[in-house]
Amino acid sequence: MTLLGPQAALAAGTVGALCLGLLRRPPARALRFLAFAAVAGAMVLVALGPGGALVSTVLAVDAKSSGWLYVIGLSALPLAYWHDGEDDVFTALFLGSTLGMSLLASAANLPMLFIGLEFMSLPAYLLVARSRPGARGLEAAIKYFFAGGIAGALFLLGLSFYYADTRSLSYSAVLSPLGQAGAVLMAVAALFKLGAFPLHWWLPDVYEAAAPEVSGFLSTAMKSAAVLFLMRLCEMAPQARVIGYLPAIGAATALFGSIMALRQERLQRLLAYSSIAHAGLLILGVGAWAASGRKAEGASALLFYLGVYAFMSNGTFGFLKHSGLETRAQLKGRGASMPAAAAAFTVLLFSLGGIPPTGGFFAKLLVLWRAVDAGLAWPAVAAALAALISLAYYLGLIRDLWLEEPLEDAPASGRGGGLVIACALGALLLGAAPWLMGGMAK
Amino acid sequence: MSMPLTTLWVLPLVGAVVCGALGRYGRRPAKLAALSFSLAYAGVVAMIMLLSQSNVAFATINETGPQWAYGISYRLFADSLALGLIGLTAFLNLICVIASWDQEVSAGYWACFLVLASALTGVFLARDLFFFYVFWEATLIPMFFIIGLWGSSGRRHAAVKFFLFTFAGSVFMLLAILALVSAHHGATGVWTWDLSQLDAKALGAAARWVFWGLVLGFAVKIPMVPLHTWLPDAHTEAPAAGSVMLAGVMLKMGVYGLLRVALPLFPELSWGALPILGGLAAFSTIYGALCAMAQTDLKRMIAYSSIAHLGFCLLGVLSRTSQGLTGGALQLVNHGLTTGALFLMVGFLYERAHKRGLGDFGGLAERAPYLAFFFGFSTLASIGLPGLNGFVGEFMSLSGVLAALPILAFAGVLGVTLAAAYALPAFQAVFWAPEGAGSVSAQVTDLDRRERAILWTLCGLMLWIGVAPKPWLAWFEPAVRGLVR
Repeated sequence: MTLLGPQAALAAGTVGALCLGLLRRPPARALRFLAFAAVAGAMVLVALGPGGALVSTVLAVDAKSSGWLYVIGLSALPLAYWHDGEDDVFTALFLGSTLGMSLLASAANLPMLFIGLEFMSLPAYLLVARSRPGARGLEAAIKYFFAGGIAGALFLLGLSFYYADTRSLSYSAVLSPLGQAGAVLMAVAALFKLGAFPLHWWLPDVYEAAAPEVSGFLSTAMKSAAVLFLMRLCEMAPQARVIGYLPAIGAATALFGSIMALRQERLQRLLAYSSIAHAGLLILGVGAWAASGRKAEGASALLFYLGVYAFMSNGTFGFLKHSGLETRAQLKGRGASMPAAAAAFTVLLFSLGGIPPTGGFFAKLLVLWRAVDAGLAWPAVAAALAALISLAYYLGLIRDLWLEEPLEDAPASGRGGGLVIACALGALLLGAAPWLMGGMAK
Repeated sequence: MSMPLTTLWVLPLVGAVVCGALGRYGRRPAKLAALSFSLAYAGVVAMIMLLSQSNVAFATINETGPQWAYGISYRLFADSLALGLIGLTAFLNLICVIASWDQEVSAGYWACFLVLASALTGVFLARDLFFFYVFWEATLIPMFFIIGLWGSSGRRHAAVKFFLFTFAGSVFMLLAILALVSAHHGATGVWTWDLSQLDAKALGAAARWVFWGLVLGFAVKIPMVPLHTWLPDAHTEAPAAGSVMLAGVMLKMGVYGLLRVALPLFPELSWGALPILGGLAAFSTIYGALCAMAQTDLKRMIAYSSIAHLGFCLLGVLSRTSQGLTGGALQLVNHGLTTGALFLMVGFLYERAHKRGLGDFGGLAERAPYLAFFFGFSTLASIGLPGLNGFVGEFMSLSGVLAALPILAFAGVLGVTLAAAYALPAFQAVFWAPEGAGSVSAQVTDLDRRERAILWTLCGLMLWIGVAPKPWLAWFEPAVRGLVR
């Protein structure tokens, strides 16, 4: 059971948070420490893992799942730092959602994938609602819940088709039309979670209404889990024809997200569309990985992308949390009043735009390269165009921040500038020394 | 100096960090650090150039470093073409620092120039296509801030436009490079990004796409009409020193890319593309000149003239004859010197009068005789007066293309004529015409000693190349010999 140590640590953290909640006044500091210790502990346990592999029909703990556990932990750490510990339920929900992701990372059959999916999603709906009190958060949470519910229902329907055809809950070499339909429905569920065009409609509203740090968590940890979810589907039903459409869906998503982000005035909504664009590139990466025989290089390219994205997205959403800025108008000319955090934000934006020498450049390079290598020339060209369009608004933000005159009074900065800077340094470090990440991806 | 080439690009970068760190102690320390690092950088470049000139063993310098996954390796290479352009970079960088000496700018300004010099040096040195691309893109970041923070009124728009347009070209260049590396791996089983090992034969039918992807990336940078639209804004809005680096060195990256990457890898395809590419280059010379003629802003006029001048370089390079290639390479340096000098003088004018329209001045020849002399000298060099540097480069480029595809040479000659038709009237309007109503000539004082020293140096070089071009041509000839068809 030592192999399931990371999951155990997260489960213990969840239960611990609920137990602390029984006290009359739950100690905020203890809750924050608990959340941090549970996530960091899970990552350490992955690293210290006995090195063996547990492969059963239900769970698989191997090199691949531990790579993903790392990235999920990395993506979740910032929220463990940001949350204030005033709400014990929030802490429990956060850790519970992360636990669901870690289960998903190790799922070896389709029902277990579903359990992981729901385990990570159900707490996430409530996280959105609790992160911002009032009608707006609630509305977004309900929207999120409905979208997630549809995805879950489609997955179950697809699974029943698949099972009826193949009599298998995991791998199947051949698929009849019924099984193909099942695969389509299951893939749609995964694309829903990733916010792929045209199943993206819930995402901007949710990311805009949630607190920025929660959006950061959703856009990184949840996205990592959803990418893995899609990859597991490709592994279990390699003959599914829907896989062939993934590159086109990815390229369309990347183009759509980039174009929509151009005209956004509210920063959180802009970053939400930007995260759709990045999801598009990841879906293209999954398609390329599947098209070239599911080689380890394709998977490690995706893992690297998600690892860098954990820094970039958490850092940019974190900057919004730190600075309290909500609109592009407020952003104007703010660079001079908070140079360190604004410089870090600038580095993160360059990285999101894929400009060398940042980690974001390597991430885009690797995924595009996998696509070119798999012979997917047109999706690669479309994704490159999307990257170009996305640069227009990343540069626009940098221009607002540094080159414009301040227009109006902006809110005072909160705590946590250090974390934004740490994220920027992480993105730079992965640009200068990308092989640091290589160890995990093996 | 066991790693001379690494020193070349790291030294200015270290200078940038030092400048940034000194920024908190006021303006002067950062400025002094920028000057000392620029001097040191130029000194090291000069030493390496002398070494490579005097000792046959160092005519080309190779440097290899670690190798990583997928065949990405740290490999630098310097021949006379690379060293010549690095020399130009170091020289113009030093000129820029001295020319901006009296400006009230923060430490970031100096740091941006040093980062730019470092990235440009890296582009000219890289033999590994991966590092070539990284350095290529890295040049955009400092220039974005140089234009956006220290430019004139339209700077914000111009900075974003500059970044986006040139990035658009390089995205396709990147895809082309990736396809090339993948195809090479597919054919040989070896991952490599090394220019000296990559073989385009592996591409098969896709070679055409890859070639045009590369050319697109380079053509935006050069810029070749119709991909030039970013240039007038960027050059006009940038601060004077920024325009010098933009026109003087950054435009040369495109031609360098053709010479170093596209032509050696695709000798046949590039020859087949001569009618299209050469036609566009010849069209650039005429179109650039016609646009320059229509400008009322002095700086914008010089910006358009750059499009025309780079057209001549391209004609020479694409002709693939010995005289055309050598002349085209020399013209890269010539354009850096003459256009650099002109941009600096417009900057000096703008500092004094805060205007740069052709109609805002008049009679400056009497008020500022030194300025008139240097401006006239550089204008004549720019339009190709025999005895000055522009003539040598243009003549050789045109004679090269005459041997390759004569019709293009006729178009080029038309471009030369048109150059005189916009440059001389502009000079006349500013320096000789009577002062009209609303003229700001009264605010213009003559050049001070620092400014004169800069321009004596630049004009001296123009004259030297003009009257004794042989050592300069001999410098570039070995590097382009292999490209002669």
